[in-house]
Amino acid sequence: MIRTILAAVFIFGGLLLFAVEIYGVNRFNFVMNRMHAAAIGDTLAMMLCMAGLIIYSGFNFTSLKLLLVVVFLFFSSPVSSHLIMNLEVETNEKAHTHYETDAIIDEDDLLEEEKNKTEG
Amino acid sequence: MSKLRPSHKDKRAISFQEWMDGSVDPYLGNLEMKPQELKQETREQFEERMQDYARMNAQLYDTEKNTGVKLFRVVFQITSVIWVLLLIGILLLTVSHLPPNGNPDNPANNEVSQRYIERGLQETGAVNIVTGMILDYRAFDTFGESNVLFVATITVLILLRKNKKMHNELDMKEDPDEEKYEPESDNILKTVAKVLVPVIFVFGLYVILNGHLGPGGGFSGGAIMGAGLILYSITFGFEKTERFFTEKTYKWLSFIALTVYCVSKAYSFYTGANGLHSIIPLGTPGAILSSGLIFVLNICVGMVVTCTMYAFYAMFRKGEF
Repeated sequence: MIRTILAAVFIFGGLLLFAVEIYGVNRFNFVMNRMHAAAIGDTLAMMLCMAGLIIYSGFNFTSLKLLLVVVFLFFSSPVSSHLIMNLEVETNEKAHTHYETDAIIDEDDLLEEEKNKTEG
Repeated sequence: MSKLRPSHKDKRAISFQEWMDGSVDPYLGNLEMKPQELKQETREQFEERMQDYARMNAQLYDTEKNTGVKLFRVVFQITSVIWVLLLIGILLLTVSHLPPNGNPDNPANNEVSQRYIERGLQETGAVNIVTGMILDYRAFDTFGESNVLFVATITVLILLRKNKKMHNELDMKEDPDEEKYEPESDNILKTVAKVLVPVIFVFGLYVILNGHLGPGGGFSGGAIMGAGLILYSITFGFEKTERFFTEKTYKWLSFIALTVYCVSKAYSFYTGANGLHSIIPLGTPGAILSSGLIFVLNICVGMVVTCTMYAFYAMFRKGEF
């Protein structure tokens, strides 16, 4: 009984955080803010849900698999965030208007753009 | 006395081939072959061509003079309307004949599912009833699904494959910016992938081999292994992947998997339909080597799904394996 209640508390906490994540992803306008919101779901909300399920199922082989899911996402989710961020910084042409970047601005590209503007 | 042939060029077949290709002419000698130049046209030429095209269309579909076209159009429209109405009618009629929802006498609630649940373990030897169903009772259906995956890959191959000759001549210079967006040079990704890819492969193998004992099976395990392959090729590039997975590997793996599935299941169907004794033992339920053919068929399906996933990725990414 206590175990069920504890598991329910964990799972509902996770679901609440998922709701916060979805609200944040739809509320913010810029990529970085959105990713900040999405990271909540990737880490804490997912972990809470899995912890709740592990407590609910007891400590057996199934809960070991659930633990492996947590470990896997703990490795892979930051990497995917990092790659998306990299791509955003390198491809967004208006990046410097939103945030400071270390990305090297290609001068040839800028010159070409100006040329296109004057020609067109 | 036979004629001496100093080089292979004197063979008749080769000279015929050359004549067919147009590189050798019997009167003019060797001809220099040039690749066809791309057609360049100016804006005026393009507009003129478009005007010609419009004029031709106007003459062709001139309904006042050409009564056949007019008749065809009318018939076509009337027929299409009739066809659509007929289809709608047939479908509505079918829906109206369906039994009411939730009725216990519905044909879906028959003895088949009862039998699957009650005697599935005894007849198939698989602890997981779902696997017992899809790979034993309904193995023919699963065979069709595997073939659909294979045919889909072949279709994509036909549509997207690069013409290597054309590619070498025309597109040798690639976009220099292309490398910038590739995540291949990323150290974080490389380090993590080194740890994760083996784990993914082992987990995929576990899911495939454990299909008859727990949740899983060929389709899900194959998807996991395909994802692992894709992650590997994203991280380390296609050169490293091609050391163990090329077009040849794909061809043979798919061929072997589908053939083994077909032959083994054909034997099983033959013995089952004729009431013969099958030599395939069912084993003790719960052991890893049990449930007869399901174990083998799971591996076959897993191989086909893995190959299909990776083939789709490779094809869309670079147009070949």
